[in-house]
Amino acid sequence: MSTQEAGERLELLQGTLDLLILRTLIFGSQHGQGIAHAIQQTSEDELLVEHGALYPALQRLEDRGWISAKWGTSANNRKARFYSLTAAGRKQLVKETAKWERLAAAIGRILAREGAES
Amino acid sequence: MFRRRRKASDFSAETETHIRIETERLRESGMSAEEAHAAARRAFGNVTQAQERFYEATRWLWWDGLLQDVGFGLRMLRKTPGFTAVAVLTLALGIGATTVIFSAVYAVLLKPLPFRGADGLAFIQKKNPPRGWTRNQVSPAEILAWRNQAGAFEDIAAFRQTSCVLIGAGQAEEDPCEVAESNLFPLLGVAPVMGRAFSPGEDKDGGSRVAILSYGLWRRRFGADAAAIGRAIEVNHASYTIVGVMPAGFSHLYATPYGAVPAMWLSGIAIEPTGTWNDYWGVGRLKPGIDLRQAAARMDRISARLERLEPDLKGWRAQLTILRTMVSGDLHSALAVLMGAVVFVLLIACANMANLLLARGASRATEFAVRRALGAGEGRMVRQLLTESLLIALAGGVLGVLLATWGCHGMAALAPQSLLNSAPGLASGVADLRVLAFALSAILATTFLFGLAPALQGARPHPTETLKETGRGGAQSPRSGRLRSILVVSEIALAMVLLVGAGLMVRTLAELSHVDLGFNPAHVLTLRVPLWGGRYDQPQAQLEFWEHLVARIEALPGVESASASRGLPIGDWAGQFFTTSDQPNPPAGQVPDANYIVAGSDYFRTLQIPLRGGRTFNQYDTGIAGRVAIVNEELARLHWPDQDPLGKRLRPGSPDSTAPWLTVVGVAGNVHSQGPDAGFHAELYVPCQLPWVQAPEHCWCVRTFGRSRSPSSALWCGRFIVRTKMCRWRTSRPWSGSRANRWCNSAW
Repeated sequence: MSTQEAGERLELLQGTLDLLILRTLIFGSQHGQGIAHAIQQTSEDELLVEHGALYPALQRLEDRGWISAKWGTSANNRKARFYSLTAAGRKQLVKETAKWERLAAAIGRILAREGAES
Repeated sequence: MFRRRRKASDFSAETETHIRIETERLRESGMSAEEAHAAARRAFGNVTQAQERFYEATRWLWWDGLLQDVGFGLRMLRKTPGFTAVAVLTLALGIGATTVIFSAVYAVLLKPLPFRGADGLAFIQKKNPPRGWTRNQVSPAEILAWRNQAGAFEDIAAFRQTSCVLIGAGQAEEDPCEVAESNLFPLLGVAPVMGRAFSPGEDKDGGSRVAILSYGLWRRRFGADAAAIGRAIEVNHASYTIVGVMPAGFSHLYATPYGAVPAMWLSGIAIEPTGTWNDYWGVGRLKPGIDLRQAAARMDRISARLERLEPDLKGWRAQLTILRTMVSGDLHSALAVLMGAVVFVLLIACANMANLLLARGASRATEFAVRRALGAGEGRMVRQLLTESLLIALAGGVLGVLLATWGCHGMAALAPQSLLNSAPGLASGVADLRVLAFALSAILATTFLFGLAPALQGARPHPTETLKETGRGGAQSPRSGRLRSILVVSEIALAMVLLVGAGLMVRTLAELSHVDLGFNPAHVLTLRVPLWGGRYDQPQAQLEFWEHLVARIEALPGVESASASRGLPIGDWAGQFFTTSDQPNPPAGQVPDANYIVAGSDYFRTLQIPLRGGRTFNQYDTGIAGRVAIVNEELARLHWPDQDPLGKRLRPGSPDSTAPWLTVVGVAGNVHSQGPDAGFHAELYVPCQLPWVQAPEHCWCVRTFGRSRSPSSALWCGRFIVRTKMCRWRTSRPWSGSRANRWCNSAW
């Protein structure tokens, strides 16, 4: 299931994939492969996004009404399913981002203290 | 969330697109086609798993699994047709029988009467303990005294049952009807659906004559025309104005078991304080806080005062019955027993179902062990079993509901009229939905619960054990064996109880139906022909009519004999005082009475009432020679014990009557004229031919067919109706009371 390079990349934390997808779509509609590619590139290849896991996540977000999907034509003239943010999705992104920042800050603070003690 | 679901094909198209785009991207970065494709697939991960996850997420799986389970379940059921048939039938019978019987029991016993505050309504009759008479009609004097002086009732309303010949708006017809006091309907709390009830001014004898129609009569005779209100009709040769129509299904639920549902209510009851004729029934509403016993005690005080003023009322005391118990009467215990039987049937059906399913589960233990070994999930297996149970339950349930519906209709068709009168819910033939729901849920719950047995048995830790066990010869585990033993034992115990109960019931009924009625009701048709006014005012004309009619009827093919009479067993009662020459002046209040029957010469032959001595009437019993009477054994026993009654003389009427003395020429066998469970009463027969006998305004024609009740009976009556246009016929109903029992039993 995991690829050979898996060991070198960071596995995504539970629940962060949704946030990343929403964030990626803020720049406009994109198909699945494009989203996966964008996450990987933007993270400078640090994050491992298993493409297969992306689609159930997309489906979930679509079910919740945060993104919408439509079949369209890709840059190199292929039919692909394009995803775009909905208004609800935009709100959710703001919420998720704030939550993530608080989480990251909190973890950061703990780690900083641990580091000081050791 | 009810939006359109994505199809799985759409999803796989998307994943394919993804891999293609990724492959292209990798090729652009310099990989070979094969390498790029492999890398894209690697990066995607497990395609099948992604698709499965999508599939499960979109919940199509559930439906898909259900379809699969249903298909599999159907195949399994088809593979074991014996099991399927037994299971479905058990369910259907359990549900159907329980519902039908309970619906009937509910309609008869439990359903509240459609009256306001029905529990406070009492039916008022009277009894005469010193003389052993019960359930008698009451007199106006008593009604008035009880109403005004006893202080036990908020109100009492009197009514009288009679028969009405209705002329106008179609053919003449005769219907049972009631003359009622204006407060009867308000007392019951039932208002007419159209028009108005009687007003107090209409209670007087000379008041305007108005009639209220029953819903049935209104529809049948007046075509449910609203213009019927205000119309004049001729009832018993008097003109009445229709003022109202009662609601459908309203019947006098306070009738005697032999009472008919009135088609009409008439005003003009004229209750006078001097009236001592026992012609009336009473319905009273008890004052709050007063029970039957207190009410009876207060009324007895009034009666004691009254009998000093009116010697005719000597010894009479009120006899009260709560209306509801009046209606179900002695059927109460029979139906309660039946109810118990129904519960047993339901229990047996449940136990049977459980046992069937357990047995089936045991035989499928191997199958489920194999499936578990192959990795079937617990949930999946439970669902499979539930689906199979659902299929059985569905088939059984549908069949059960159908059975219940048919059964209830059949019940309504078979029930004796007296029961239908008092329980209109029964007559509608509608199954009681609550019971149906209860029976359905009880049995279906059992089905589901025990349908799961294989899964629960299969839930043992090691499926291999089951496999080994069954491989060794199919011995079942001791645990499931015990459960089944318990079920079988309890089932047999229940069946035994039921069998014994049913046996006893059948025995009781057999005893009852073997009561010798004193006459033979088989092959007897009865016919009621009222003669009113006009040319039949003269007794002679009536007599000629009867002679003519009897002759015509006897000439018809298939008729063995025919006779006119007034008063017929079972049910007719015409109380008549009389005195005997041995005791011409009995003290007031002790004047003997007897059921007075005017009989034609072939009356005894037609009803096959045995003659114990003397002779029957004949054509020579006319004029002075016709001053004869026949008494029954009971009358002879009461008045001439140890003496030969033949040749004794008696005289109908009160002691001061001027009627001529009649000589007893015959002694007839006793007849259960008031029902098989009522004792014998004194009966006095007088010949029909006597011109001086107050010629009956209603006569009964009786006739017998030969051995077989040929279809000519209907034909014959049809012709008769056409000719006289004033005839109603009924087949002899000797069993009114206990036929209800038989009806219950056969239904059971």
